[in-house]
Amino acid sequence: MTYSPELLKGTLKTIVLKLLMDHKKMYGYEITQKVKELTQDKIQITEGALYPTLHALEADGLVTTEVEYIGKRVRKYYSLSPAGKATSRERLKELTNFMDTMIALLNIKSKMA
Amino acid sequence: MYQLSDHQIDLILYDLQQRGIETESLRLNLLDHICILIEENLEEDGDFSQCYAAVIRSFYKQELKELEDEAQLLMALHKGHILLGRNQFFLLLFVLLIGPYIAYDLVWMMNRSPATGWRLPFEIWGSTFIFAIYPLLVLLVLFLTPDRFDPLIPRRSKVLLGFKPFIRILPVNMAQ
Repeated sequence: MTYSPELLKGTLKTIVLKLLMDHKKMYGYEITQKVKELTQDKIQITEGALYPTLHALEADGLVTTEVEYIGKRVRKYYSLSPAGKATSRERLKELTNFMDTMIALLNIKSKMA
Repeated sequence: MYQLSDHQIDLILYDLQQRGIETESLRLNLLDHICILIEENLEEDGDFSQCYAAVIRSFYKQELKELEDEAQLLMALHKGHILLGRNQFFLLLFVLLIGPYIAYDLVWMMNRSPATGWRLPFEIWGSTFIFAIYPLLVLLVLFLTPDRFDPLIPRRSKVLLGFKPFIRILPVNMAQ
């Protein structure tokens, strides 16, 4: 089972920030593969969602980039900036809190039903 | 494992540009991603064009430019741009284009002489009517017939206002 894009939309930044926190630097393809691996293919980040998000994180100053030249290709590695590390921790805390709330909310609903 | 030639890489880069990926760093990111996927999936004697077409198609819903638009939107939202719904945008246009004429009438009424009463003379409401009717009709046509011809601001789309770009209409699939 894979999760719907709508469900993942609000959590993509957090996922990317957390991965960059756990790994020193990563490039786009590597991020998609790591997410697939960690979630046993349940979460598949699309390129259409990932790259705009990475660019937004870069514009916000939350990630820094370095490039590696592979022949005519350029590979862009992303790593967390100091501001990104702080934001990553905040986002994780917020998401954990949100999940707790959702669990509580859904439990209440199932009891009512 | 398949090895892409410099010529094939140039072709991909050119195609990405033709498909509307204007931001260089986004283009280079996509190029690298596409190259990895092709090199992983294509056999030594495989068909490059066929494989490239299949890979690039998996990147978007309707057109590749969606990625450029999404990246621009996400970056713009963090640069102080304002995101308005369609109705809000038309209300803003109405206030900007018709508002001054109504304000003129109201100011005239506030400054009227007591002898005139509340009646607006023709030279006041007439000029308001003449000057405001054209922008009002244009606004009404745009607002009430969003599916006509090539709609300027389609139903359920959103409008991004700010600086660079000053105005951008976000299609329905991005606005949701």
